[in-house]
Amino acid sequence: MGELLILNGSPRAPRSNSRQYALLFAKSYPQAVETFAVGQCRPWELCRAMEDCSDLLLVFPLYADGLPSPLMGFLQELEKDPPHNRPVISILINCGFLEPEQNHTAIRILRRFCQKNGYPLGSILKIGGGEAILSTPFRFLAKREIRQLAKSIHRRSYGTFQVTMPLSKQMFLRASSRYWENCGKRNGLTREQMSAPQIENESPPPQ
Amino acid sequence: MNLILSDRALPVPEICRASSEFFDLSQMRIAHCLGCFGCWVRTPGRCVIRDDAVRIYPRIAASRKLLCVSRIWCGSYDLPMKTMLERAIPVQQAFIRLWHGETHHLQRNPLPKQALILGYGDISAGKQDIFRQLVSRNAHNMNFEEYRIVFTSEEELEMTFQKEAIAWANS
Repeated sequence: MGELLILNGSPRAPRSNSRQYALLFAKSYPQAVETFAVGQCRPWELCRAMEDCSDLLLVFPLYADGLPSPLMGFLQELEKDPPHNRPVISILINCGFLEPEQNHTAIRILRRFCQKNGYPLGSILKIGGGEAILSTPFRFLAKREIRQLAKSIHRRSYGTFQVTMPLSKQMFLRASSRYWENCGKRNGLTREQMSAPQIENESPPPQ
Repeated sequence: MNLILSDRALPVPEICRASSEFFDLSQMRIAHCLGCFGCWVRTPGRCVIRDDAVRIYPRIAASRKLLCVSRIWCGSYDLPMKTMLERAIPVQQAFIRLWHGETHHLQRNPLPKQALILGYGDISAGKQDIFRQLVSRNAHNMNFEEYRIVFTSEEELEMTFQKEAIAWANS
């Protein structure tokens, strides 16, 4: 007992921000951790590993205001074939929006999952601006909170933490516009092209 | 055109058939979103995964009335509906705006909608509360002008759907 497992719940696990957050967490955690990723392992593999662990950290992005569907599917498989040992589940969730509070509904859904299935809920870290924060000068803020998260889990003194970029909303809008414009530019697209109203090449209906 | 999305087969009332399209998501091939953001930064408004979802999200954008029928899991839409809603992000742009004081993605150009959400299955009070919060969050990102949520048991789903769909079509 005592081992910590990380489950990366991002649909783009190998290239995800969640992977970066999980790596930062692993560096901050005083003991070795084992990392699994949805889509790269079977639920029974995680289930077997959970028999010998005390803590499970779920790391994932906010998708449509909830859990990403591959992570939901994974948890539903765990419901059908649960481990005998129920580790404490902690959460590291990030959303691309400035407000870390936008993660609340997803956390409530996971809290309900834990209640329903007998998993104690541990620490929670909510990250706002999570798509970009690691590539900004505010990276240190995210690292600092991840260290706090790691410490709280290791000491079994569970708590809730949050972090975002210390920008006004207007500054965030400008910074995020630059971020996305640069993403488009790398693919030869202008802002106007990225903002086209056509969906699947269909012209929009009259308003 | 009105749109009905359901995670199971349901008998659509006669009055809805002429004015509505019905998609039974359980019979469709819809993969999960890869999170590649290609529909924002490579082929705006177009998903790289060419499965059945590409027929549906343009209809979501073009509908004035939307009826979603979904089982509830832990206060969330269950997998079929959640997967489809995630695949609908080509309806949005990468760019962010302020909306009701929060940062949200700009919309590509979906029609404003009246939505009816029919949640069924395990509908204890706590789960209803979470689901209400989820739908109210989604409303910001799906251009819902108005929405209503109805909860029902699985046993009463067909009857509730018939009643609500007729009222929805006539509203």
